[in-house]
Amino acid sequence: MDLTPNEDQLALQGATADWCSDNMPLEQCRARPAGTWRQMGEMGWLDMTGPAMGLDHGTEALIFAELGRFLAPVAALSTAVYRRWTGTEGKAALAIASLQAVRVADPDGASVALGVADGRALLYGLPDALDAAPGLDLSSPLALLPGAAAPQPVQDGRAAAHLRLLAAAYAVGCADAARDMGAAYACTREQFDRPIGWFQSIKHICADMAVRASVARSQLYYAASALDADDASADMHIAAAKRLADQAALENSRANIQIHGGIGMTDEAYPHLCLKRAHLLGFVAKAGREALLQ
Amino acid sequence: MRFQFSDEDQRFREECRDWLEDNIPREKRPLNAVDAVDFDRAWQRRLFDAGWAGINWPSEYGGRGLPIVRQVIWLEEYARAHAPWIGSNFVGINHGGPTLILNASEEQKAWHLPRILKGESIWCQGFSEPGAGSDLAGIKTKARIEGDELVVNGSKIWTSYAQVADWQELVLRTEEGSQRHKGLSWVICDMRSPGITVRPIQKISGQTEFAQVFYDDVRIPLANVVGGLGNGWKVAMSTLSFERGTGFIGEQVKLSQDIEELLDSARASGRLGEADIAEQIAQLRAEVFALRAMTYRNISEVARTGQPGPEASVIRLFSSDLRQRIERLAIALAGETVLDFRYGDDDFITDYLLGFAVTIAGGSAQIQRDIIGERLLGLPKSR
Repeated sequence: MDLTPNEDQLALQGATADWCSDNMPLEQCRARPAGTWRQMGEMGWLDMTGPAMGLDHGTEALIFAELGRFLAPVAALSTAVYRRWTGTEGKAALAIASLQAVRVADPDGASVALGVADGRALLYGLPDALDAAPGLDLSSPLALLPGAAAPQPVQDGRAAAHLRLLAAAYAVGCADAARDMGAAYACTREQFDRPIGWFQSIKHICADMAVRASVARSQLYYAASALDADDASADMHIAAAKRLADQAALENSRANIQIHGGIGMTDEAYPHLCLKRAHLLGFVAKAGREALLQ
Repeated sequence: MRFQFSDEDQRFREECRDWLEDNIPREKRPLNAVDAVDFDRAWQRRLFDAGWAGINWPSEYGGRGLPIVRQVIWLEEYARAHAPWIGSNFVGINHGGPTLILNASEEQKAWHLPRILKGESIWCQGFSEPGAGSDLAGIKTKARIEGDELVVNGSKIWTSYAQVADWQELVLRTEEGSQRHKGLSWVICDMRSPGITVRPIQKISGQTEFAQVFYDDVRIPLANVVGGLGNGWKVAMSTLSFERGTGFIGEQVKLSQDIEELLDSARASGRLGEADIAEQIAQLRAEVFALRAMTYRNISEVARTGQPGPEASVIRLFSSDLRQRIERLAIALAGETVLDFRYGDDDFITDYLLGFAVTIAGGSAQIQRDIIGERLLGLPKSR
């Protein structure tokens, strides 16, 4: 039993964080440079668990939590799953299907979208030109899929769990980002002649953010190692990880806006970017509560 | 990352399970502190004789010197088997003993540690005072030095099992006029010393297992100071992260049992069909899973680095809050039957009432949040 990252994993995590802060800062998530997607591919992040790299889901979840911290493009989630379980190259946009409509996030350059509905991973063919524009999540261009042909299921049943795990990792990263942004602001913003983080009312909001992030990250590690072991409990633990990570991302994002006060209400400040990303992630590979009542 | 235990660890787990199955006392642990202590001593002695006491304590003091993961396995199996609450041995085994291991002289360790493991020494804690609760550094109970003795005057409070304990870990102000964290000493006090008066206090659940202790010119040999005169704060803090991390694994396993029982009974009664109840149980179950994952992460950290991370406060805060929410759901599901509770009962209502202590004792939830904010997130210190 060991639920801490080993030396190699820590090195990879550190290198990922360094690259992201240099090349893919959260502050630029609304308009990524054209080359970002290609560079993410070159870094190997979209093929980590494929046969060529052969890394485990524990390592992958660790790295995706880092990517999530910088609000990296959401198509990395669907593309990593698409490549792993269909053996195909290329980009898969992220599909979010409801009874009424299929929404596609991040479709630029993708001919297919992948999402989870009714517990299964499904592939949707995309028309040549999809008119995507920023929706609620300003870092993810969104398009409505016009009355499409029936989606094709991904054959391997583990694909749905994989997408859920990676989305949970992104949400853990989002929760971390909101926590760190809030704590940093509480250290510098002064009122009553001292940093607002001096006051327990603010300090305790920050502490609760740290608890939520730590709870979600711990369950993420456990769930990833259960998936690696192909354990019978993996689906249940991934469902728990997704639920707790989504809650942590959303609640930390809300708390971060409160800590920022008036500036947190502005479009030019960054706290709302985490909130909006958290809302989007909540709809990715949602796990019903039934998985937790088995 | 691996959540699975090694084959050797699995074999150890089976050994624990087999022994517990054959040896758990059939009679229930008495509720009354005085009767309970005889029970606790006898049970601790059986654990020691069979090699289950001090699994990760150094072997030269009667322990087995095994890695911390084995202690975790034992505690998991212990709780899973519904073995008796460690009760009056809690402070000696989980707090006093580990503090001695880290800070005491060879002589002190050689005399006290084996006696703690064998159940021959019951320990109690003397930290809090009527005027020093969350503000622990406000300790006023003081000792003057006369020859080779300390002479103690003052009072301690919330001392569990004070009326039956043999020894006390006592933090005193040994330097006249000293302030806050300075001038304190951590001292081993013989509870049978002349001048000690114990006044038991009844809890909201009916038990009288904690007490206020009064000291009137109590004489303690200077040789009983641990870690040197004036170093009491450092000595006391050396085991707090232990208390906040791995000291509560049994309690965490019990939470897991409690939520599984709630799920089973809600399914049997049909109440799982109510959406809000199903939602609450699903949420609590996810959090109980995460608590185990957090504990494993913390243990892994200890195994890798030799130190529990600062995350121990996070675990303590999260687990105490989770425990209270599980107990509140149990109460909500029980309906009007909770009104039939009487002092002397020992059931989930007792747990609910005693559960209010977990966000107060050993550093209140508010103090834990201060620690997390200041030590983990680097926010400015308020005090």
